[in-house]
Amino acid sequence: MSRWWKLASPVAVIVLWQVLSSTGALPQHTPSPAKVVAGLWELTTKGLPPGYRLPGHLFASLERVLLGFAIAALVALPLGLLVGYSKRLDVIVDPLVEALRPVPPLAWLPLAVLWFGIGLFASAFLIFLGCFFPILLSTISGVKSVDVTLVDAARTLGAKPRSIVRRVMLPGALPSAVTGLRIGMGIGWMTLVAAEMTGVKSGYGLGYLVMTTRDLARYDLLLADIVVIGLVGFLLDRIIKVAERRLLKWR
Amino acid sequence: MMRATIRSRARVAATAVLLVLIAGVSIVGCGSSPKTTKVVRVGHLQNDMHQLAYYVARENGYFKDEGLDVRETGTFNAGPEEMSAFSAGQLDIGYVGAAPALTFSGQQMADVKAVAGVNRVGSAIVIRNGLEGDDVTSLKGHTVAVPGYSTMQDFLLRIALGKARVDAHDLTIMTLKPPEMAQALASAQIDAFIAWEPYPTMAVQQGVGRVLEESSKIWPHHPCCLVVVDSTFLAKDRDTVQRFVRAHEKATQFIKDNPDEAADMAARFTGQDPNVAKKAMATIEYDTSLDQKAIQRYAAYLNEMGVIKVSDPASFTADFVEPGMLQGGGR
Repeated sequence: MSRWWKLASPVAVIVLWQVLSSTGALPQHTPSPAKVVAGLWELTTKGLPPGYRLPGHLFASLERVLLGFAIAALVALPLGLLVGYSKRLDVIVDPLVEALRPVPPLAWLPLAVLWFGIGLFASAFLIFLGCFFPILLSTISGVKSVDVTLVDAARTLGAKPRSIVRRVMLPGALPSAVTGLRIGMGIGWMTLVAAEMTGVKSGYGLGYLVMTTRDLARYDLLLADIVVIGLVGFLLDRIIKVAERRLLKWR
Repeated sequence: MMRATIRSRARVAATAVLLVLIAGVSIVGCGSSPKTTKVVRVGHLQNDMHQLAYYVARENGYFKDEGLDVRETGTFNAGPEEMSAFSAGQLDIGYVGAAPALTFSGQQMADVKAVAGVNRVGSAIVIRNGLEGDDVTSLKGHTVAVPGYSTMQDFLLRIALGKARVDAHDLTIMTLKPPEMAQALASAQIDAFIAWEPYPTMAVQQGVGRVLEESSKIWPHHPCCLVVVDSTFLAKDRDTVQRFVRAHEKATQFIKDNPDEAADMAARFTGQDPNVAKKAMATIEYDTSLDQKAIQRYAAYLNEMGVIKVSDPASFTADFVEPGMLQGGGR
């Protein structure tokens, strides 16, 4: 099958959307794809508020998300290995993780502002919360999925715990951990709008832009922003996927 | 666009007729009062000290006295959401700020008319503890939070800066939602903010800042919240709107005549400490009149900023304002 088939579903949605818009079948005030494209152009050239252009919004959001994601990965990966390795630790940590995991990051917003002020760190904290649990849980389940006989074999062959972790556990857990990173990045990016509700001193951010378009009743620019958020989320996922393929070549 | 408008109007009209029929049938069914009870779908903002008249009219039974069955269809966190409920044809009447009402009307996103004022003034600039100065020139070089780009508060700040000959570029103006403002001020993340009551009074009460300037000083009697009505609903049923406005005027008069009792009600309405409620209310002018010139001044500003695109702010405002429902026809 040709690679072009990948474009079939997005193109079909856009065409259908345009047809429905032109015939007036959509709820009133829903912008058409043509308006959204014009909106993308307006955001790029004029910006919203005027002067605050799209690249600025994009880079500000990337900075926040990458920071939150990096911290989540740095904490969740080692913690996941430890918890996966030690049954006792698993028993101790599990209730806390399971109780905190379902809380929507947005609920933490007032506390995020209290603890980190407004700006980069408060946003990064909310994104961290979004990324952290998928990475942690996938890493734990990755470690648990390592064949026990492999560990036993290594042990009987006289391997020290340290090298068991490095040579057996880590490679065995990696595929699942990388999947966790992908899911974590996805959820972190989804947390963006909530994260930027903490207030943005610079006036830049794709999530922050959502609120501005809402205040100004510019739903065409809102949809243009949504398109950008979607595309960038897609690209971020692709980047991790490519890295995954390189990293796990040995398989 | 045209077709869509007609379709939606037809839908709203059909809904209105249906609701009236249902209301009529239920009254006949009870076999009681000959005066038909009218159902009105009303929206208002949550915890908004400015919109106290709505709560008073409801609690004191003024709506009921007018034969209105007020259905609280929406309690909104912010004006734009309430206005999009008008766009969706979900509301007949709403208490909402002039800013979102004009923004949505000017962009043809909602077709509403202002039939009464709710309040004038009642916003303030609060500066954090430890900063010197007693006028807006002391904001130079500092970070000031506003509730949103082109909001009434943003406009007021710019008027104040203009009066004091301070270039807006000499300070950092950022957007922050009012509930987060006092906290940000306390931790010196921002140096000052401008917001509607009760947020300024709350910040002062919490001891994190002091009022630098009341909005009544910046622009005396500036318009703020309005009662707006869906245009189709108004055209179909002027009598119901008239009754609603009468109840609203009665409630506003009650607030003026019974400040203590009204403060208790405000505390219940907003969940505030009665002390805060009383102090905040003292800075608000509860006034049902519609000042067309003042509304036009704000519309012209929105047009200048490109937020709305109308050819003539004067005729746009004249069309937006419908003072005929007020006792004596407003002013």
